[in-house]
Amino acid sequence: MPTPMLDPAIHAQLAAILPPAALLTSAEETRPYECDGLTMYRELPAAVAIPENEAQVASILKRCHAARVPVVARGAGTSLSGGAVPDKRGVLLSMAKFRQIIAIDPLARTAVVQPGVRNLAISEAAARYGLYYAPDPSSQIACTLGGNVAENAGGVHCLKYGLTVHNVRRVRAVLITGEIVEFGGDALDSPGYDLLALVNGSEGLLAVITEITVKLTPKPQVAQVALAAFDDVGAAGAAVAAVIGAGIVPAGLEMMDRKATRAVEEFVHASYPLDAAAVLLVETDGTPEEVAADMAEITRVLGEAGATGIRVSKDERERLLLWSGRKAAFPAIGRITPDYYCMDGTIPRKALAQVLRRIEELSEQYRLGCANVFHAGDGNLHPLIMYDANVADETKRAEAFGGAILELCIEVGGTITGEHGVGIEKLPQMCVQFRPAELERFLGVKAAFDAQTLLNPGKGVPTLSRCAEFGKMHVHHGKLPHPELPRF
Amino acid sequence: MNAHADPHLARPDARDVADLVTRLTADYGERARTSRAIRDQHSHGEGLADAGLPDVVVFPHTNEEVAAIVRLCHAARVPVVAFGVGTSLEGHVAALYGGVCVDLSQMNRVLEVNAEDLDCRVQAGVLREQLNAELKGTGLFFPIDPGANATIGGMAATRASGTNAVRYGTMRENVLGLTVVTADGRIIRTGGRARKSSAGYDLTRLFVGAEGTLGIITEIQLRLYGVPEAISAGVCQFATLEGAVQTVILAMQHGIPVARIELLDDVQMQACILYSKLEGFEPKPTLFFEFHGSDAGVAEQAGQMQAITAEFGGSAFEWATKPEDRTRLWQARHAAYYAAKAMFPGKDVFATDACVPISRLTDCVLETKADADATGLVAPIVGHVGDGNFHLCVLFDPGDPDERARAEGLAKRISLRAIAMGGTCTGEHGIGVHKLEALVAEHGDAVELMRTIKRALDPRNIMNPGKTVPP
Repeated sequence: MPTPMLDPAIHAQLAAILPPAALLTSAEETRPYECDGLTMYRELPAAVAIPENEAQVASILKRCHAARVPVVARGAGTSLSGGAVPDKRGVLLSMAKFRQIIAIDPLARTAVVQPGVRNLAISEAAARYGLYYAPDPSSQIACTLGGNVAENAGGVHCLKYGLTVHNVRRVRAVLITGEIVEFGGDALDSPGYDLLALVNGSEGLLAVITEITVKLTPKPQVAQVALAAFDDVGAAGAAVAAVIGAGIVPAGLEMMDRKATRAVEEFVHASYPLDAAAVLLVETDGTPEEVAADMAEITRVLGEAGATGIRVSKDERERLLLWSGRKAAFPAIGRITPDYYCMDGTIPRKALAQVLRRIEELSEQYRLGCANVFHAGDGNLHPLIMYDANVADETKRAEAFGGAILELCIEVGGTITGEHGVGIEKLPQMCVQFRPAELERFLGVKAAFDAQTLLNPGKGVPTLSRCAEFGKMHVHHGKLPHPELPRF
Repeated sequence: MNAHADPHLARPDARDVADLVTRLTADYGERARTSRAIRDQHSHGEGLADAGLPDVVVFPHTNEEVAAIVRLCHAARVPVVAFGVGTSLEGHVAALYGGVCVDLSQMNRVLEVNAEDLDCRVQAGVLREQLNAELKGTGLFFPIDPGANATIGGMAATRASGTNAVRYGTMRENVLGLTVVTADGRIIRTGGRARKSSAGYDLTRLFVGAEGTLGIITEIQLRLYGVPEAISAGVCQFATLEGAVQTVILAMQHGIPVARIELLDDVQMQACILYSKLEGFEPKPTLFFEFHGSDAGVAEQAGQMQAITAEFGGSAFEWATKPEDRTRLWQARHAAYYAAKAMFPGKDVFATDACVPISRLTDCVLETKADADATGLVAPIVGHVGDGNFHLCVLFDPGDPDERARAEGLAKRISLRAIAMGGTCTGEHGIGVHKLEALVAEHGDAVELMRTIKRALDPRNIMNPGKTVPP
């Protein structure tokens, strides 16, 4: 395939804005940007621009808008839905140089950061005030705040502390026209339409974020985790609903099935019970009195729900040990299967037991293993479908299996993506989850921000004609034949 | 014509309206009303009377009926204004250009309660007190409590909050999904029962707080909470307003998870003592607290709080642990607006609404108090100060233009002061018609985006025209 080319006129304009080292066009320079965490999709951009200040971002967008050149913004490239996959006709806008933590206000408990700041770096910087940034996607060592906002990232502790949208106060961004706008404010509420919520989770389709004010949370005095074993996956699912139904809001409530615990145990030796069909990790945090009271209630509910064994961390070392298995789950699965496909469906908690049993059946039907490691408290599933891309038709079966899981999620009143975003990956299922009247509102919002659809085109929201096309092709399980063909 | 009217808007053609009224009367019979009394009642909310008389008031029972009404309005290009119980404070429900008022009060059923998932689905006309009454026995409750017994639909549309937002958030955090009738009369569902979703733009939060200008909310999926094992409420009085406000700031900075923390200044306390017959209190700056949690947790929170109040010259706590005592206390707080009004029968009252970052709260409250005193008006302060939000109930004589001007000047300065301190001109009451200018001052360029969104979702500008987004 020939290297994509940027129109010489626009290239000259960008070259006038950026120093030579910050504008890459040769295939060997742009190759590192060809994909993100969803490696199934790859594309070389026509150019990579690496601005270092907001004025440059605004100039680049203004020029691209005038010349109708697509722009895809990119943070650390950890997206799991293809959110940062480049457009071959366009500019990949890397925000990697926006790495400054501009201010921390310990009284107001806020931090102002640039979009290229890593998630964990905020907590590290705020630690000296006894504060931290609560949303903690598993990739928090690497992923950046700009991407977190664009994808409305979640994480283990979102059950109690909310998603990114609940922890962002203000966003400064550049529209495709080059105009600079601010959404939200430093006070609790902000009047007018909730544009801040719109930008959160907009997957880079509405604006390019240049500055973010986040809320910081006081570090809890103590935290304690319980590891509960169950001899039936459905019973573990029911126990999740029982804990929440008892009015307890744990700081984290995670579930792993046997395939996952076995893979993890070989890898990190977190001393998980290997005979259990599933384990739950239930964490509570707060003052010592609250934690003691909550933990007593949690262990009582887990016992009543049929836990065959419960282990409560006695100290911080043991707590971290018990969590180490959960944190290492994805790489551990990667050790036992050549490839895996991570899904992100979210369902009402009440349906957990039913959906987990159905996934077991589907696993047999498609003859592929599936490990479950997920944010059970939110009902956010992450089935990891294990396959080998080098074995004939396994990729296809994996995708069909994944599609079936997502449709199952919609069937029980859930959604196709809890925290990873739609990206390229789940466009077909958007046509299943939403009706034309709803898709039209999405497209109306998009048009209000970016009428020429230049920002991150072909992602997030399918066009109505695309959905009609998908329908005609009868994509029952939500996956196209020959997904390798560029269609967007 | 109203002072805030949009020059680009005109009343619809009188014949179109007459045809529409005939059609609605034929379709809905007794549920389409045109009597002057009913139209008057639906022409305004509470607060400053920016009345706008609708041509007809319709009482639908189903989503489909709402959609059918909006389709007729859409075809005839006639404005349509949604109405709950009319407790909004910024003129949201005034039919500035006439048209159809859709009164949702008969859509008042709780559709489902999912105890295991801690959520429920209600029709827009369900009242907040009704919802909590129906939840009795489930061990669950819905915490958001604006002073008035508003409808859930109205609370969602205005992004309401209340006394315990500091612990439970506002409607923004507690609406999981919606059923909305769009401007072209179609029924859509946003969000859902899943706790989180990254699929598509966040239309739920776009409609929450849009004040009926993008669509009519007909059903709401709400987050519920377990009734805490232990609740205790305490009252602490201060020699100075500053001491009370500093207490709040320090409590927030210590991260004490109070469920409610309310400030009443000396004037408001005086009004409440008289109106709600509170005994054993003095007309001094006062904080009302409520703590939720386990027995141990509540005792611990209360202990930490007492240590802080003592530091700022607070009195010993008066405790109310029995449910009936607590109810009495909070009823007195919720009646603050009516208590203020009762101080001078014959005077009108309107409530201002400012919210600032907690670190600026002392400056903002003290400057505002001095400003209010200088106007010579009676303007008690009350606020959910834990989240930086406070109100003044400004009393004025509606027949005295000078007094009215002084009151409006004070309100405007409060908005601008809050904005200058990095805050907002409305913590919870919304924009309506009264704060359109303040929105421009606060949001600048983003207002143009709001206009574009309004045009994209309501191209004929029939949904509650003249509100929320400045012309």
